[in-house]
Amino acid sequence: MPAEAPFAALRGQLHDAAGKFGGGEVAAEILTGLVDDVDRALREALEIFPVCHHSPASAVAMARRLRAKQPKVIYLELCEDLQPLLGELANCTLPVALQAYASELDGFPAEWGPLSVIAPITEASAEYQAISYALTTPGVELVCVDHSADHVFQQKPPERSTAEPPERSAAEPSEPASAEPALHGDAVGVQLGDLRPRFAELEAFLLHHGKVRHWSEWWDQYVEQPLVGADHETYRQVMVLIGSLFRRLTPDPGRLAEDEARERYMWTRIRAHHSQSTVDIGDCLYVCGAFHAATRVDQFGVDSTAAYEIGPRTETSWLYGLIPSSHSAIEAQFGLAPGSVSIAAATWSRATSGRGAVRPYRLSSAKSGKTAKASTPRVTTATAPAEPGGDMLSEFLSAPSRPGGLDDDELRGWCVDLVRLARRNGYLASTADAIAVFETSMLLAGIRGRHRPTPYDFSDAAVTCIEKDTVPGRRDVATLCGILLGGDRIGRVGYDALPPLARDVYDRLTPLGLDLTARTQKRALLDLAAQPELRPCSDLLWLLRRLLPDGTVRPIMGERTLGESSVQESWDLALGRNQRSLIELGYDGVTVEQVLEQRLRRAAWDPTATAGTALAAVEDSILFLANRRFTEELGARAVSLLAAERTVAGAPDVLRRIRRLLTYYRGVAPTLPGWVQEFVTAGYAHYCTLLPVATVDEETSVRQVAAMLGFLFSMESLALSLGCDRAQLELAVAQSHPETPATIALLWAARYQLGLLTLADLRSRCDELLGNPLTVPSFPAYLSGFVQALDPAPGLTGFVVEALSGAFARLPDEVLLPWLPTLLTTLRAEAAELMPLLVREAGRTFPGSLRALDTWTPPWAETPPAPIPAVPAVAGPAVELLAERPDSCDAVAALLGSTDPWHGTVSVPPAGLLTEHPATATAVAALLD
Amino acid sequence: MTDDLLRAPAEVKYADELNWLESVDDGPKPFSWRLSPKMVRLFILGSERADGLEREIPQKWFGDRSFVERAIVTLASDRGLLLIGDPGTGKSWLAELLSAAICRNSTLVVQGTAGTTEDHIKYSWNVSMVIAKGQSRESMIPSPIMTAMERGVIGRFEELTRSTSDVQDALISILSEKYVSIPELDDDNIVFAQPGFSIIATANSRDRGVNDLSSALKRRFNFVRIPVVTNKKSETEIVRFRTEELLKRHAIELDVPPSLLSILLQSFADLRAAAQSAASDDEKLESALSTAEQIGVLEDAILSSHFFGDRTLTAQRLASSLVGSLARRSPEDLAILNKYWHGVVEPRSKAEGGEWPAFLDGGRDTIATLS
Repeated sequence: MPAEAPFAALRGQLHDAAGKFGGGEVAAEILTGLVDDVDRALREALEIFPVCHHSPASAVAMARRLRAKQPKVIYLELCEDLQPLLGELANCTLPVALQAYASELDGFPAEWGPLSVIAPITEASAEYQAISYALTTPGVELVCVDHSADHVFQQKPPERSTAEPPERSAAEPSEPASAEPALHGDAVGVQLGDLRPRFAELEAFLLHHGKVRHWSEWWDQYVEQPLVGADHETYRQVMVLIGSLFRRLTPDPGRLAEDEARERYMWTRIRAHHSQSTVDIGDCLYVCGAFHAATRVDQFGVDSTAAYEIGPRTETSWLYGLIPSSHSAIEAQFGLAPGSVSIAAATWSRATSGRGAVRPYRLSSAKSGKTAKASTPRVTTATAPAEPGGDMLSEFLSAPSRPGGLDDDELRGWCVDLVRLARRNGYLASTADAIAVFETSMLLAGIRGRHRPTPYDFSDAAVTCIEKDTVPGRRDVATLCGILLGGDRIGRVGYDALPPLARDVYDRLTPLGLDLTARTQKRALLDLAAQPELRPCSDLLWLLRRLLPDGTVRPIMGERTLGESSVQESWDLALGRNQRSLIELGYDGVTVEQVLEQRLRRAAWDPTATAGTALAAVEDSILFLANRRFTEELGARAVSLLAAERTVAGAPDVLRRIRRLLTYYRGVAPTLPGWVQEFVTAGYAHYCTLLPVATVDEETSVRQVAAMLGFLFSMESLALSLGCDRAQLELAVAQSHPETPATIALLWAARYQLGLLTLADLRSRCDELLGNPLTVPSFPAYLSGFVQALDPAPGLTGFVVEALSGAFARLPDEVLLPWLPTLLTTLRAEAAELMPLLVREAGRTFPGSLRALDTWTPPWAETPPAPIPAVPAVAGPAVELLAERPDSCDAVAALLGSTDPWHGTVSVPPAGLLTEHPATATAVAALLD
Repeated sequence: MTDDLLRAPAEVKYADELNWLESVDDGPKPFSWRLSPKMVRLFILGSERADGLEREIPQKWFGDRSFVERAIVTLASDRGLLLIGDPGTGKSWLAELLSAAICRNSTLVVQGTAGTTEDHIKYSWNVSMVIAKGQSRESMIPSPIMTAMERGVIGRFEELTRSTSDVQDALISILSEKYVSIPELDDDNIVFAQPGFSIIATANSRDRGVNDLSSALKRRFNFVRIPVVTNKKSETEIVRFRTEELLKRHAIELDVPPSLLSILLQSFADLRAAAQSAASDDEKLESALSTAEQIGVLEDAILSSHFFGDRTLTAQRLASSLVGSLARRSPEDLAILNKYWHGVVEPRSKAEGGEWPAFLDGGRDTIATLS
């Protein structure tokens, strides 16, 4: 029992206070328990340094402590498997996030994938100070001791639907301050020193009584400001006290159990490392969140012997990298108030600049020429260091709050700068407004009980004085204040810290001569005729466009489709702004080509893949990869997928794609590749087999049947030349007995195409339908079928125009009008295939001018001219020629299977033309003689 | 005194409280303010246990604390305060409370209308006295704003944007130079503002574009935008607070069941959501659906229950008042309410039961009567 500890007096005081408040034993236990926790943490042989995330006060205290203590080993609450990445931070512009990423899961449910954990690092954080110190000071070892990314998910499945932490206060604005929060994607965020009330009521209570709007402001006012400049012991005790308070008021035992599991893990790792190390425990420092400093698990302390078994990782292979982050992304990820991380950054830069300020540790890039050096140790504590373990809490808790916030000069500077910024953004702001903002800031600070205005007061004052009824430009005053206070800083991952794929992309785009790491959008102009050496860049850009999200690389001019490429191209490139997508692409492979190949392969061999997806993959492989063997592999896969399909749902897609591919191959190669030939013959047989079923199947639409027929008729000549039998198609059509009017009409068209029906038959059938009052209402459905038949039977276009015209002329309005929207939507959806045919035919049929309309009669209404009887040519030079040389005719007859030889002697008078103009025939005869 | 008045101004109604606050206030007071800024805030937003006051001060205006703080510090600065927002968001009530707390006088009000002239802002003359005695300070009738200047207190200008632009601009010199000259007089012809003078104006954001403020006048005002209360908890508080006041005024003893209050709040929330998603003005109710409208509906239901009903508030009566208050245009508003009643209230009454079926019947009947 630590009754004789230095906290005895404080403990007694708190016990009395609990009695006075009437909280009973529970309150007394909580209050004195807080002191016990502080006492326990401070007595631990391994120095525990409690921190809070993105807290400049923590960072300042950390920098001071590191200079004073010069520890040899630092244990850090950070995923242990992220440690190898820390060295790369030197190549980056902060804030960036360490990322662990896994897309191929083994041991986790497949629907969780891809898994991603990110740990953002800002400059104004204690962990960055510890990392920089450890990496720049020779002989210092840094050990990350927290759960690995794998263990993070073992303990807690990803919650994609709830990006916001549940305890987020209702008073906080819900909309993100900028468009950048998507920078982290849907990764699970981990951060060092998560310190926040664990239930909404406590946070609401603190905010209400603290007279502040959101948690960041409360923390700034009640913890940050008083602690800036505090000595190490006070800092430690206060932080552990707050951690202990939130810990003891955690209502959710499940969440506490998660934290305790992590604490057991961390202490087990620390003990394991320390037992193998020769470094004295006094030279070690354990940096963890204040919440974990107040832990009560058995494994706490280096002297503890309580065992804890660390479970194995799953077989999932994790990939690691750095991605850019930003202040607003961090705020969005962790539910902080917009602008709070920027304000923390501003406070940090104030604390580290000027005379007597703390000297921070920084990682410097190896490239910049500066050597990564350890700063000489120098103690620069703001106040005299207290005796370790003494009670600093009583004094701190009873002392009046110290003046913090902005000094007059700084505030004045901000007011002037803000007015200038506002003017540039369309506000009619003047010097008078600067004065008003200054005055109002002071008054607001006064009414809120602060000695000096804080950035939050300044921002409120600016909104009060400058914002009027409308916002003149794109940015309102609150946004301008955010910009002034450092704005949303966006980090950048340096070249050396990029994965090989991203480096390769940057290298290959070097000939463009653009700085692609910049965050601004760049315009690339490629004149491929004049500079053919830029062709590989163009290929790469098209590939990137296929793989990266929209807006990263965007063609302004030029296109790439099958068989077409541009002579000039113009691109908008925003690779710098979308570095994360490029980096995440790097987790999938070493080059972009390899990534695309993998993705195409995955798509084509997916259990849900269809022939259409495989053909799409074939197209992509031709366009982007130029790898013939791979294309053929994908083509073969398409053939097997088509043969295995049992429905015709994908028929329209298949037809469109195979037509495009056929056109392409006919243009570039003398013969069609083997897989295309196989695809056509397999498709012909496949669709012939499915046709009878598809025409009666209720789930198969007319469009799909039309696409099947389109395939059969348009590929027919090719299929027959490759050995298919036309009888198969004729049989299939004969076996089809559709029941719905649209499909019936479609089948009539098919039979017409096969020569089994004549145009006159079709016409008379339509007339019958229109003439019978019982069938008139279903006539539009027949018409829909005919419209769909334009694709498989283009010869029927004239008849379709005729039928449509007839429908408009003869159908009653109550039948015609409800059908018109269906017709329009059909034509619109299939515009590319159907409209050109229909419009051309209609243009041919209908008169071109209004005047001509009066005298116009539709061609189908004209009485057909009497057929001129065919008069066989019986005499003349042609007949003579044939009679004299019967060999050719006999040979053709033999070829056609006729054994009857041709007798050229027919005594019929010669036809008029040959009689009147015999010159040609005579000339040919003379030539042959 | 409050009993003799139909509606006592805030400084009369809360005189006790203000006197007590003044007696315990030891904070610094700007100009001639009767209370320090912190006490003004406390008077408006109510006290907490943590404030350590012996007497509990109830909350009188419900909304974000920072709006009140910004309004108070504006009045302590050189600029006028313009409260802008949708109708029924409590702008005038906040202005009245601020004036009452700061200078114990909230009645120096100019109401802006299309007929407001410069005389209403500056001064006019008592014609008979001018004929009898000539032009003098005695025969001059100062406007409420000029009176506020002379006394160093807060003057109020309601619905600033309803008055024409040239009249509005008369405020420019008052807010800048802080004096009004009277050229008709040879001596004693300038009225200087005393310390503590300021102006609280209110403007309806729905009137934007009718008489826009000039840039010069905008510069002299700090704008505080008061949003429509959408937080259910705050709204319940406001409705309860105002209804209690009403019941007290009419000496009515009637119980407002919480279930009915929640039905009222829910239907307003639904109608607001519908109005937000409406594409044109014809598809949304003419009413702004503010908290004040809710209070109006409840007031109507309470009064009609009390005087024409059996002195209990029923769901039918509430529905009938709601339809009656919101259906202003026929057929547009009635069509929207009909759609709401059949599309939302009907399924809800089936799903949730309780008072909803009675609410459904009441509303349906009233819509049928009005159609």
